Amino acid sequence: MSRVVVRGAAVAVLVAGLAACGGGGQGSGNEKTLTFWMYQDRTPQAGQVIEKVRKDFEKANPGVTVKLVKIPKDDYNTKLGGAVASKSAPDAGILDQPLVSKYALDGTIKEVPAGLIDESAFYKGALDTNRAGGKLYGLPADQTCVALFYNKKLVPTPPKTWEEMKATAARVHQADANVAGMNVPKGDGYGAWMFPGVVHGAGGQMVDDAGKKVLFDQPPAVEALQLWVDLLKSSPRKITDSDKPFENGLAAMTISGPWDVPTIHEQFPDLDFGVAPLPYKTEAAGNIGGEDSVVFSTSKNADLAWKWLVFLTDAQNNGVIADAFGGFPVNLKAQVVASGPEQAAFLEQLKVAHARPAVPQWIQVNDEIIAPALESALTGKATAQQALTDAAGKTRSLLGWTG
Amino acid sequence: MTAPVLEGRKEVAARPRRRPRRRTNDRLVGWLLVTPAVAYFAVFLLYPALSALYYSFTDWNLRSAASWVGLANYSDLLFNDVKYPHFWKSVQVTLQYTLIAVPLTMVAALVQALLVNSIRRGANLFRLLLFLPVVTAEAAVGAIWRWLYDPQYGLINSVLGLVGIPGQNWLNTPELVIPALAFISAWQCGISMIIYLAGLKGIPGTIREAAIIDGAGPWQRFWRVIVPMLRPTTFYLLVTGVIAALQVFGLVYVIFSGSGRSVTGGPEQSGLSYVLHLYLFAFRYDAMGAACAMSFILLIFIMIITALQFRFVKQEAS
Repeated sequence: MSRVVVRGAAVAVLVAGLAACGGGGQGSGNEKTLTFWMYQDRTPQAGQVIEKVRKDFEKANPGVTVKLVKIPKDDYNTKLGGAVASKSAPDAGILDQPLVSKYALDGTIKEVPAGLIDESAFYKGALDTNRAGGKLYGLPADQTCVALFYNKKLVPTPPKTWEEMKATAARVHQADANVAGMNVPKGDGYGAWMFPGVVHGAGGQMVDDAGKKVLFDQPPAVEALQLWVDLLKSSPRKITDSDKPFENGLAAMTISGPWDVPTIHEQFPDLDFGVAPLPYKTEAAGNIGGEDSVVFSTSKNADLAWKWLVFLTDAQNNGVIADAFGGFPVNLKAQVVASGPEQAAFLEQLKVAHARPAVPQWIQVNDEIIAPALESALTGKATAQQALTDAAGKTRSLLGWTG
Repeated sequence: MTAPVLEGRKEVAARPRRRPRRRTNDRLVGWLLVTPAVAYFAVFLLYPALSALYYSFTDWNLRSAASWVGLANYSDLLFNDVKYPHFWKSVQVTLQYTLIAVPLTMVAALVQALLVNSIRRGANLFRLLLFLPVVTAEAAVGAIWRWLYDPQYGLINSVLGLVGIPGQNWLNTPELVIPALAFISAWQCGISMIIYLAGLKGIPGTIREAAIIDGAGPWQRFWRVIVPMLRPTTFYLLVTGVIAALQVFGLVYVIFSGSGRSVTGGPEQSGLSYVLHLYLFAFRYDAMGAACAMSFILLIFIMIITALQFRFVKQEAS
């Protein structure tokens, strides 16, 4: 029996060896293959755009083949984690913004080589999403943000400040008790992700720039949470917990991103809506999302990989690439492809967008500490101050911070 | 699986006139037959399980090398509410869910089985219709039930409204989340229903006739004949149902994620089931070591619960 196993194993090795020989040609000489992981194409058109950029890069770099591996967004982080764990990470790839600091601090990704890019050519917020411990670990590929969507029939002019927003919401709900003024974010992971943008609108921060001190128990954050609590009076959950309340005309305002604009136009063609920058208290602000691209430490073609990332972010390509990824360019000189009245508001918002804290455990803090704190204030179980003081204490204990 | 082959070999050995060559062949065939199953078990179940056991004693984020921490994951999970603020909440949610969902599912299954068993025409059609929820894609189930439970347009609230019960915000009221989820699982009781149906068919007609001759009404027949005779079936469904309910994941995941919702487990963590909590630590918070420890705590818990059921629940038909 063991002989059979040995024979079988021998055959398997032989076959594998032959297969390796067949594909091995690319490794020799000047031929190089660069593997880049990215999200699955949003649309077939987006796929064509990316394919063209890939071919342009290969043309400009003879002997180089760029292999794009496209993975559904929902599975991406899990698959990437698995690939890194099994030492089969690609040369480079897209990386979710909050993961950059984690991957950077444990050495999974490379630091951006000095002099690779001119930092002033990029939007600051987008570039900052690649920083960890003050160093740069990746390049943004595209950026996106959330803004205020308003129903033009119910809200003729969008509110600019928090006070105007509260007044508008109250007026809408008073006129029709079945319509909510605002679809107030909830105390879940998504709501906690949007919250920092509001805090910045009152001149505050979640944590300090050095990433050592919790600041979300300070007045700006408390005021931001109080705003959401106050808005609930004119925006009962019973209305806004319904499916697509804004789209169905049951909520006059909501917060969402550019990805929702085409969907609403397509599925709710009768809805007359506009997009405006987020209302603020003392300064215009918002938060940023989007995709970053990084080079993995295990890459044997790091120089080439950086070249490819620079290619994706240069003034010529970044416009179409960002549009294909569903966001906006990160290069100040790149042409914005998306057009339409809504896009102007998002671009306006991006100028004042802030990156989320570069703390490796931030997702956990976001989900497990901040989200429940927001919910306890929004359900009236605690005051905004109590909820955030409590959450700040828990965050300090978890992260081992003293401030 | 090896048993029949070994017996065959003994038989061969008992007949000395056979050539010894045959013996090796039998053994070879035996091994060839079991190899796929053994290989599958070893590669996809045993090896991952043993690795998980090892990683449960380490601090591992999937990327850096795992560092040995001994029992720290286990003790932190159980006693450190700074690191794992919602661990006990997830235990509580899961136990509540199990306590409501398992009995509800079994009663629904039994009622459906009795109905299907008693009708003469169209039993196949009803069996199919009642089984459909089981084979429906989980994502579709999530979408349908989010819509049924909708506080504004939901069918459930409309029906309740007809009998004068005020509409509820089912999936957004912490106290109602578990019952709402349990109700969905009862709706998906098709497999239990089929098993009960088989159990019902297995009750000899003579017993039923004897009961009728003795003057037992339908109610008495149900409690004195059907329920006791179905006891082995009920026991099987109870044990497997509890094990499945303690591991509930897909349902909560589809109900509380998608279209802008986050997977953090519903309002105030009221739907944060044990396995969802485990999943979040494994793949969202980068704590694979702790997640592995959670899975072994669950394994031990399930073993204890199952052993208790075997000890204290009546299993034999009577």
